[in-house]
Amino acid sequence: MGVRLLVGTSKGGFWVTSDDRREWAVEGPFFKGWKVTAGLRLAGGGFMAAVASDIYGPAIFLSADGKEWEQVADGPAYPDGDDRRLRQIWTLREHRATVYAGVQDAGLFTSGDGGRSWKPVPGLNDHETRGGWMPGAGGLCCHAVLFDQANPDRVWCGISAVGVFRTDDGGTTWTPKNRGVYWAHEDEEFKEIGHCVHGMAQDPDDPGRIFRQDHSGMYRSGDGGESWAKNETGLPSGFGFPIVMDDATRYLFAVPLEADQYRLPAGGAIQVYRSTDGGDSWHSASAGLPAEHAYGGVLRGAMAVDNLDPGGVYMGTTSGTLHVSRDLGESWANLPVMLPRVLHLSAWVG
Amino acid sequence: MKAAVTIRLPSLLEPVTGGVRKLTASGDSLREVLDDLVAREPRLKPHLFNEAGEFRRHVLCFHNGTNTRWLDGWDVPMSDGDTILFMQAVSGG
Repeated sequence: MGVRLLVGTSKGGFWVTSDDRREWAVEGPFFKGWKVTAGLRLAGGGFMAAVASDIYGPAIFLSADGKEWEQVADGPAYPDGDDRRLRQIWTLREHRATVYAGVQDAGLFTSGDGGRSWKPVPGLNDHETRGGWMPGAGGLCCHAVLFDQANPDRVWCGISAVGVFRTDDGGTTWTPKNRGVYWAHEDEEFKEIGHCVHGMAQDPDDPGRIFRQDHSGMYRSGDGGESWAKNETGLPSGFGFPIVMDDATRYLFAVPLEADQYRLPAGGAIQVYRSTDGGDSWHSASAGLPAEHAYGGVLRGAMAVDNLDPGGVYMGTTSGTLHVSRDLGESWANLPVMLPRVLHLSAWVG
Repeated sequence: MKAAVTIRLPSLLEPVTGGVRKLTASGDSLREVLDDLVAREPRLKPHLFNEAGEFRRHVLCFHNGTNTRWLDGWDVPMSDGDTILFMQAVSGG
């Protein structure tokens, strides 16, 4: 079964494809000179990509074939005259025929027509705590959106340096869900925000079972985010950015970094940590990864799984290297590329 | 009859316009020309202007070689054959 990776970098997008997950072909860059910050393969066919430029701002493009792209004319936008700026689109997700875009300055937008037009989610974007939202080092961004397969009215989102929010009424109202998570910074008025979520993963059969790579450590919740507890046994550091789950085995993958003031792989070795027991314990699954003088980190959107059997795990680094595992992290291959800084990686089968 | 003005765009905006870098817009002032430009190519609007309706910080707009930031406003008159050139300011080394 072939696998197609969309690798979004700080200077363009690349297709990385393989029929057997052994030999890989690289094609690109497309959107040359633009950051490619998020990607989505639409359920109805075709692809969506989010791009951004420090000069020209963000946009969403659609493509039927991954080669010819057209910018949507009516993309996510804050109203004219608004104090908020649309700086970047951090995540694109699709659920029940609705596409969600998590953006910076932090907010959520939805599209019901495959991305051709978008509308804001005011219950979140204008949340009563918004005055206390403070950007983290990566900016004030909504970067994670999770769904409840059984309950269409329940959605979670993660906002960096603010925390996790959940709606139970289809997006009308949102409630911070961060009990048990340490503060990154304490707001004077709103005590339920100031929690710096970096990445989120979710059990596909139990949507209330959520895993959270946070600035302050690795956490999990068994009750839809009502409460969180640390699960760091075996991790060399609680700090990191991405966390992904293989749907078939429920194995979790994370990339710990040395303390938040450094944000470097410990000892100059890129290490993936895997949990095979739902986060009870973590063990290095790094055979084949650069083990010396390797200081590239993995950003929150730059790791993905393909959910094949056995599962493939993929990641790109801030040094522009790409690493692939076709056996759930038992072994890794380092692709012979040196791309720009990798911001985003999606993996699709077929 | 409004003045017909040539618009030139940088190569970075090719994905936005489908590869087009030279357009024509009409107007008797810079403001009218810019309004006409985004009416003809609405996809350009978020890339040239911020939410306050100002040029993005690093977007440069030249009228016949003069940086429009140095003008008193966008009411500067336009004439047939004028050129509006967009460039990006390159900050740093």
